[in-house]
Amino acid sequence: MNGTIQAPTIEYALLSPMLIVFGAAIIGVLIEAFAPRYLRKSIHMPLTLLALLGAFATTILGAANGLPTSASAMGAVAVDGPALFVWGIILILAFVSVLLINDDEQFVAQAAAVPGSSDEEEAVRSGYAQTEVYPLLLFAVGGMLLFSSANDLLAMFVGLEVMSLPLYLLCGLARRRRLLSQEASVKYFLLGAFSSAFFLYGMALVYGYTGTVSLRGIGDALGAGSGQETLLLIGTAMLGVGLLFKIGAAPFQAWKPDVYQGAPTAVTALMASTVLVAAFGAVLRVFWVALGGLEWNWQPVMWGIAILTMVVGAILAITQTDIKRMLAYSSVAHAGFLLTGVIATGAAAQNAKALSAILFYLAAYGFTTVGAFAVVTMVRDAGGEAGHLSRWAGLGKRSPFLAGVFAFFLLAFAGIPLTSGFFGKYAVFAAAVSGGAVPLVVVGVVSSAIAAFFYVRVIVLMFFNDPAADGPSIAVPTVGTSAVVALAAAATVVLGVFPQPVLDLADQAASALFIR
Amino acid sequence: MTDAPSYLSPTGQEIVFLLLGAVAVGAALLVVTTRQLVHAALWLVVTFGALAGCYLVLTAEFVAWVQVLIYVGAIVVLLLFGIMLTRAPIGRSADLDSGNRPAAALVALATAAVLVTVVVDGFRTAYAPLRAGGGSAGEIGSSVFRNWVLPFEALSVLLLAALIGAIVLSRTDIRGRG
Repeated sequence: MNGTIQAPTIEYALLSPMLIVFGAAIIGVLIEAFAPRYLRKSIHMPLTLLALLGAFATTILGAANGLPTSASAMGAVAVDGPALFVWGIILILAFVSVLLINDDEQFVAQAAAVPGSSDEEEAVRSGYAQTEVYPLLLFAVGGMLLFSSANDLLAMFVGLEVMSLPLYLLCGLARRRRLLSQEASVKYFLLGAFSSAFFLYGMALVYGYTGTVSLRGIGDALGAGSGQETLLLIGTAMLGVGLLFKIGAAPFQAWKPDVYQGAPTAVTALMASTVLVAAFGAVLRVFWVALGGLEWNWQPVMWGIAILTMVVGAILAITQTDIKRMLAYSSVAHAGFLLTGVIATGAAAQNAKALSAILFYLAAYGFTTVGAFAVVTMVRDAGGEAGHLSRWAGLGKRSPFLAGVFAFFLLAFAGIPLTSGFFGKYAVFAAAVSGGAVPLVVVGVVSSAIAAFFYVRVIVLMFFNDPAADGPSIAVPTVGTSAVVALAAAATVVLGVFPQPVLDLADQAASALFIR
Repeated sequence: MTDAPSYLSPTGQEIVFLLLGAVAVGAALLVVTTRQLVHAALWLVVTFGALAGCYLVLTAEFVAWVQVLIYVGAIVVLLLFGIMLTRAPIGRSADLDSGNRPAAALVALATAAVLVTVVVDGFRTAYAPLRAGGGSAGEIGSSVFRNWVLPFEALSVLLLAALIGAIVLSRTDIRGRG
């Protein structure tokens, strides 16, 4: 230790997606500091889109160059098949969500101005825009990339925070109904801080048992099996609480409807799709790689949580009268369907099957969700978006095309054949059946049926009810919004009619499982 | 982990550690029971200082000094500034106790019981021999900048994001050019 530190080996090429996203975010901060206000947005937009595209291209390059067999960046990050697939989905979905964010009507003119004050009026009149959303969004996406590919609990925690903190902020920046938005932001922040604390404490206890935070090391230490199991079990439970909160699984789903409703819809679209993808990447890593040897202990609990999540999501969705809250509960139910895949472990082949099913499901669900929220941004009242379901009555007669696209997304959520949702659900349930979780699949199918009820109810409302005289207007979509809807609809159709290429890709990504 | 030696003839280290622990717990109790806000903040200094002492005894010298710098130096000072700059009552005030006192005490006791049970149960026979210099700044630095360099850099990104967030949420006086 004579003042020399051996330089760490960093695989820059493999990590380039993450580095590009973080780098672009930092350039975005510099733009905020130096560019004049009227130019900022026109610089941010192409920069953000280019960064996400560039990161996606390097992800594909990384996959084409063959997968590494060991962890990167001194064991902090595992860039393996599933990680690259998850990165790809996150980056495309973030790209699509950014197109949706390119809409001045959604974000507050000046976040620091008190709602309803003269400051706010002045900010609106001067045409200010909170262009910090672009770098914040890139920070969040970078955090997701780290979170979903972390190979030790410490890196995972850092990724979790880098992902969450910008999202807490973005949630509070809605232009209309600002108090609701700020309430959502504070709720998300407080509950998220609690869940992070649970994660940290669980990490400390697991470290106490195994003496390491590396996922592989934890797995090995479980194999050696020594010491007091209490520490390990309580640690596992606490890690689980932290991760399941981010997914929005049943006992921890309370934040989802409030936050989804309050946040600007473009941010909701981003959260509903990418955060779920990233969080499932992390859940799979922790429970399969690190705690795989403990599955007899966590599986029964996970069964209960999956059942509860599916049932609670499906049943509470029926009682909702706000379209965004309904979509939030539907996302809870979908998290439950995905959890059935997490439980379906077994031999290596079975694991690969379940993993590939989950990856496909995430891709299919993410696109449909972004599309659905994009439609929500277009149905407007005088005071902003028309959130209440009764306002959607008769939409099919006023705007048949928009209502038709929305109905199609809803059918995809319900899992009707010829949509992407069908193959996603089929793949996950098939994996669960071959993993021996038949009762779980029965519950899943039943709650799918319950869920289909409220999706169809909205469709009936849109097409078979008379429109109210003072019904909402349909905003003329910007190029970005129409591109989002078109892309999402195309992805939902293609994945529903011709899913084979993506299924093959998911199979390929899952075949080698996680590197340890 | 090696076999634990008998605790019947405690070493000086162990005695100091226990005493520091007692100071930390006692001061923490005073933090929540004192009726003066400023005193509570100052008792917090004692708690954090005793914890720093515990770290020192465990040879984690770097962590100990960071504890002093960050918690005693920054956080408590921030608390005191918060008390001074707002209209918080300075001096003895009767309404510091909330009506939830019994419930809060119960929750705190239950949490403490769970944590103590888990830790005692988990580490009952564990014994880790201490190596002088194991937690020195040199060792921690080489570990941070070698093994943990990526999470470390990501943390700096987190701080940057938090800074921007704070500016977005609080500054109304920024008027950009153009």
